[in-house]
Amino acid sequence: MEKCLGVISAGNLENNFGALCIHRPVYMLPYGGRYRLMDFSVSNMVNNGIKTIVVYTGEKIRSTMDHIENGRPWDLDRRFKGLILFPPVTHGYTSNKYGDIPQFYSTMDFYETVREDTIFLNHPNIIAKVDLKAAFKYFKETDADITFIYKPQNDPWGEYVNCEKISLDEDNNLETMGMNLGTEKEFNMFIRSGFMKKEAFIRLVKEAIEKGDSDYLLDAVIRNKDKYKINGYRFDGHVENIRNLKSFYDANINLLKKDVARELFYQGGTIFTKTKDEPSTLYTESSKVQNSLIANGCVIEGTVENSIIFRGVTIGKGALVKNSVIMQKAEIHDNAAVVNSILDKQAVIGEGVRIAGSTLMPYVVEKKQVIRKD
Amino acid sequence: MIENKVVAMLLAGGQGSRLKELTKKIAKPAVPFGGKYRIIDFALSNAANSGIEDIGILTQYKPFLLNSHIGIGSAWDYDRNVGGLRILPPFTSEDGGRWYTGTANAVFENIDYIDEQDPEYVLILSGDHIYKMDYNELLDYHKENDADVSIAVMEVPWDEASRFGIINVDKNNKIIEFEEKPENPKNNMASMGIYMFKWEVLRNYLIKDDENPESDNDFGKNVLPMMLAEGNKMFAWVFDGYWKDVGTVRSYWEANMDLLDPNNTLNLYDKDWRIYTKSRNLPPQYIARGSDIKDSLVNEGCYVMGEVKRSILFSDVIIEEGAIVKDSVILSNCVIKKGARIYNSVILEGVNIEENATIGSEGDSHIYMVSDKNIIKE
Repeated sequence: MEKCLGVISAGNLENNFGALCIHRPVYMLPYGGRYRLMDFSVSNMVNNGIKTIVVYTGEKIRSTMDHIENGRPWDLDRRFKGLILFPPVTHGYTSNKYGDIPQFYSTMDFYETVREDTIFLNHPNIIAKVDLKAAFKYFKETDADITFIYKPQNDPWGEYVNCEKISLDEDNNLETMGMNLGTEKEFNMFIRSGFMKKEAFIRLVKEAIEKGDSDYLLDAVIRNKDKYKINGYRFDGHVENIRNLKSFYDANINLLKKDVARELFYQGGTIFTKTKDEPSTLYTESSKVQNSLIANGCVIEGTVENSIIFRGVTIGKGALVKNSVIMQKAEIHDNAAVVNSILDKQAVIGEGVRIAGSTLMPYVVEKKQVIRKD
Repeated sequence: MIENKVVAMLLAGGQGSRLKELTKKIAKPAVPFGGKYRIIDFALSNAANSGIEDIGILTQYKPFLLNSHIGIGSAWDYDRNVGGLRILPPFTSEDGGRWYTGTANAVFENIDYIDEQDPEYVLILSGDHIYKMDYNELLDYHKENDADVSIAVMEVPWDEASRFGIINVDKNNKIIEFEEKPENPKNNMASMGIYMFKWEVLRNYLIKDDENPESDNDFGKNVLPMMLAEGNKMFAWVFDGYWKDVGTVRSYWEANMDLLDPNNTLNLYDKDWRIYTKSRNLPPQYIARGSDIKDSLVNEGCYVMGEVKRSILFSDVIIEEGAIVKDSVILSNCVIKKGARIYNSVILEGVNIEENATIGSEGDSHIYMVSDKNIIKE
C-alpha cells in the first residue's frame, strides 16, 4: 500500500439533504454519534496502510477545514506524506466547469510528481469497511488498469434506484456501468471505490480535457473501457450508500444493530475522528435508556429509545426521544417529545414541545434552530 | 503571563502505595479517575487552562504508562515549538546517577532546566491531586504581596487536620508557623502542596537545602520551614473549591462517587475549564434494550445490557444481561458476565468477572478492590 495514493472526491448531492447540507458538504454529515461520514473513508484507508490521502473538498469547505485540521485525528499530520487538501479552483480554465475531471486536471502537477503509482479512488458518502489490502492484492494480481469494488445488492423494493450499477463478464471484467433503475431484484452496486494505475488515471483525465467529451472520471472510464483492463472486486460486507435524507437517517439507525455496529466501528480497525474532550455521559435517577447509541458528554435525565445521541446532548426530565438522530450539543428540555426526527447541531427543543416525523420522512430541525411553545 | 514568566514543575513521582493494586504497575498520577481521566490530567489541564506555557514533569516511580499517556503533551496543547512540556526523569552526570531523594531535590536536580527557561516565578504542583484551580489567582495574590512564596491552603475538617501539613497565619494571611501533621492542630488550614515561588529565592534555598546532609530534601518538611526561619515573606492563599488527595482505596472510591452527585463542585461539564486527557477514540456507548442504568457515568465503547446504579464505567466495559453493578467503579476493558453481582467495588483494568459471581452485598460498608489475582477488602 506504500505506493498507493488515496483520493477522496465527492460529488455535489447537497440538494438531496435539505437543511442538513446548507452549510456542509454531504461527506461532513454527522454520523454514528461522534463521527462525520468522511471519517470512515479516511480511517479505513489509514488502517489499511495508505499513507498519503488527497481530499477534494468541494465548495463548502469551512466545516471540512474545521474538522480535519492538519490531519491529526488520523495521524496524517506528517512531514512526509500525510493529508493533502485540494480546495476547488476558482480561477483559470477549470473554474467554471462541472465535474471532477476539471478538478483532477487542475491538480495534475501533483499526480505527475508523487512517487505513488496507484490511485485508490473513494467516494466518502458510501460507507463500507472494505479490506483494501485484499482488494489491492487482487488489483495487482490481475494486473488490471482499473479495479472497481462492488457489492451484490438485494433490492426487492427498489430502494437503490439511482445508485451506480455495473455488470461483469464471467472473468469478472467490466461490461457495463450505468445507473440502477430497479429493473432487477438484485444488482451489482458499484460502491464508487476502486484502484487505478496512476498512468491510466492521468491519461483518462488529459484525454477527457483534450476531447472535451467527459466532465466526470467515471464517464471517461466507460467511454474508454475497451482501451483498459477493468475488472470488479466483490465486497460482501455492510454498505451504507448515503444519497438522500432517508438513507442518511436509516444509516444512523442501522447502527443499533449489533452486527452492523461491530463491523462499521471495529472491523479492520477503529474509526478516528476529531476528539472533543467531553467528560463521560451522566445518567441521572430519572433516566431511562433503551437500545440507543450514546456519545460522551451527554446528560440524560429523560427517556431515550432507538436513537443515536451525539456528543454533549442534554435531555431533560420527562422528555422522550424515540427513533431519532440527535446531533452534537442539541438540547431537549423537560417534557419535550422528539419522535422520528433529526436534530442538527445545537438545535433546541423547548420545554413541553412535541415534534414528530415519520421513519419514511424524518422531521428535520436545522442547526441552531430553536423551537419553543408560544 | 507574558511579562511575568512562570515555569511549572509538576511532581509526578508519587508511589501511592496505600492505593494497593491500583499503583502496582503505575505511579499514582497515572491512576485512572472519573470515567476517562488519569489523576495527573487535573493538574495538567489546570496548567494549560491557566495559560502556563512551560511545564516540567518530574517522574521517577514506574513512569512507563505516565510517559505514554503524556506523550509530547498534545492533549493539553503542550506540543509547542518554544517551551511546552518536558518530562524530567532522574539522570546521571559526572558525579554519578542519583534518584530524586525528595520533592525539593527533584526540583534542585533540574535547576539547569529552569535556568534555561529563565522564569521569574516557579510554580510547584503535584500530580496526585484532583481539583480545578486557576493558578493566575495564586500568581496575582503572590505579586500583590510581593511574597517570596505563596502557598495554596484549604480548610479541612478539624478531625482530619492532623493528617495534613497545617499552616498558621496572622490576620493578613502571612505565614507564621508550619505544623507537619500536628496531634493538636491550632488551625484547620492545610497546605495543598501547591507553591508559587520567586525563582531567585527558591534557587538559593534549593542549593542551601542540598548542602545540608541532614535534610530529607522535602518542600513541606525542610525547605519551607527553613525559609520561614530566615524571615522570608510567605503568604497563604485560601482556596475553597473541590480538592482531593486520594490516598486510600476508600477515598479513591469516594472521590469517584462524588462525581455522581449533580451538585458536586468538581463540575466536569464546565466548558470554560475542560479537563483534557489522551483520547482512545472509541465508538459511542451502546445501551441495550432490557438494561437499566441510573445515576451513573458511562464512557465510550461501553456495552451495557444489565443493571447499573450509582456507578462509574470507564471505556470499553461490557455489562452482560442480568448482571448487576451498584456503587462501583469499573475501570477500562472489564467484562461483567451474565448474572454477576458487584457491589461497592473497584474493579481494576481488564478484569473479567465470571458468570453469577458475587462481590460485596447491597448496603455493605466495606469496599472491595478486585484485580485479576485477588480481592482486597477494606
